[in-house]
Amino acid sequence: MMDTEEEDFKSRLAPDVTPNRQLPWLTGIELLSDTNQNKHFLPTGLEGIDALLGGGLRQGQVTEIAGPSSSGKTQVCLSSATHVVDRNFGMVLYLDTSNSFSPFRISCFVNQLHPSLPKELKETSLQTIMSNIYCQSVFDIFALLDLLHHVETTLKHTVKLGGSKLCLLIVDSVSSVIAPVIGGKNSQGWCMMASVGVLLKRIAYEHNIAVLVTNHMVGGENGTLKPALGESWKGIPHIRLLLSHGTGNNRGTTTVLKHTLMASGRTANFVIGN
Amino acid sequence: MGEAKPENWIRCDETGKEMLSRVLSGRPFIIPAPPLHRLPLRLRNVVEISGPSNSAKSQVLVQAVVHFILPKEWAGIQFGGMESKVVFFDLDCRFDVLRLSQILTHRISETCGSIGQIAFDELFHDCMSRFLYVRCYSSSDFLSSLKELSYQIQRKDETIGTGLRLLLIDSVGSFHWIDRSNQLRGLCKGKNISPHSLQEAIVHELHELLLLQPLLVLATKASLFRTETPNEYQRSSISNSTGDRNLLFREYMPAVWQSFVTHRIQLHPSDELLSDGSEPIRSYTSDWLQPSVSIKDRFIVRDDGIFLT
Repeated sequence: MMDTEEEDFKSRLAPDVTPNRQLPWLTGIELLSDTNQNKHFLPTGLEGIDALLGGGLRQGQVTEIAGPSSSGKTQVCLSSATHVVDRNFGMVLYLDTSNSFSPFRISCFVNQLHPSLPKELKETSLQTIMSNIYCQSVFDIFALLDLLHHVETTLKHTVKLGGSKLCLLIVDSVSSVIAPVIGGKNSQGWCMMASVGVLLKRIAYEHNIAVLVTNHMVGGENGTLKPALGESWKGIPHIRLLLSHGTGNNRGTTTVLKHTLMASGRTANFVIGN
Repeated sequence: MGEAKPENWIRCDETGKEMLSRVLSGRPFIIPAPPLHRLPLRLRNVVEISGPSNSAKSQVLVQAVVHFILPKEWAGIQFGGMESKVVFFDLDCRFDVLRLSQILTHRISETCGSIGQIAFDELFHDCMSRFLYVRCYSSSDFLSSLKELSYQIQRKDETIGTGLRLLLIDSVGSFHWIDRSNQLRGLCKGKNISPHSLQEAIVHELHELLLLQPLLVLATKASLFRTETPNEYQRSSISNSTGDRNLLFREYMPAVWQSFVTHRIQLHPSDELLSDGSEPIRSYTSDWLQPSVSIKDRFIVRDDGIFLT
């Protein structure tokens, strides 16, 4: 009886409402249990950053790392990829926009992780890790949007057979593909940036993936630097971190610009080992 | 018609006093948590909370949620909550349920003192079940969710329809660029609805919903466009006594939305840091734009919620 009533009502709805769509109403309890069961923390491998973030990059959230050039953004990405695969969380998809992916650096991180292993075992461990990191170059926003749509479709139709599943998506750097199209009077570029944002958040939440993106800096008021991509981008990532050079080589400082759980302004130091 | 007498036309239905008591009992005043506490709000009010990024807008929504889902009284302890259901439309998709759980836990522990784990769990479970959450990834998703909500309320559905008092939207401007670009391209998402009228349809649906069920609507809006910085003379004359810059933001929401909103409050992160215990903590200012209130409030956001300073 109820079904026919429902069908009746749905047929009277505006035509753009798809009748078969399941609207997910979740109660607070269901939301909380989903977060506790499915949305884990993935380690970046850098202690200071992991401690600051309460464990690492969280599945279901988009984390942005902004910083001036050579402040360690790519190193954080490479380190996260290595550590996530090493601890068997799943696969990593690394979208590289500036040819910064370096297998050599990955092998350095692996050496650091397992310093005392004999050479053959190190080789095999490196092979396994490399085979679980998928690296793809994207050089413009259209390719990025295409690829993200493709990733989403593949994820929807993949049946989990107990094998590794995608758990970390890195876009290094997302600002270099978005920055050329935004600005100016035309709203097309901003629309594409907003679409990238919606896609990344949807992929992150629906498929329990942590998304890590990097952003560069541009000049702001009074000669200070500020993260690129403007005010509209600020509303897209869940967590925004700012990296800056520290004292000495391989050291840096992270500042929290925005976080869902904690106040902004907290800092931590980190060291990128050799 | 029949026996109608002319005197019946001029006889009054009720006195002013009777009308006031009827209206006040049907639509009582709600005093929400700070920083919305300055003005008494009632059901069927629509409050727009605007501000630039990182100005604690979503925190204000979470604070309101906690106020509404707590019971008035439980096991003899007064909580002072509204004990009603809340529906949260997350258009931004950045809601963190752990933050809600954190604030709720703090509130319960503060008010109750020490209660057993089982009792705490039961109360927590009751409160969290009153919170309903929907994610929308586009404006048409939002529209269809609103229609579904109307339908459930009409059906007086147990889970959703009854006892709903608060509707939150975070944030209304999330799909601004996408909708605007589609509008300019003349792209039609459906057979009859074009994106420009998509906004109108959303406001119309909200309006119908408010007629169906009296709700308080709280919506956040990110202030995206700063107006031209005025020259030195203007800047000095508009800055207030505390020295905070009075920033002006351009309105980008369509006229239908602007006329739908009944109250407006603007939040802004302040440049100075207050010391709260060990670490310096950022404070925020809130400024009622509609109706205009001359007092600006200042508040901080701590682990256990929003507090005025």
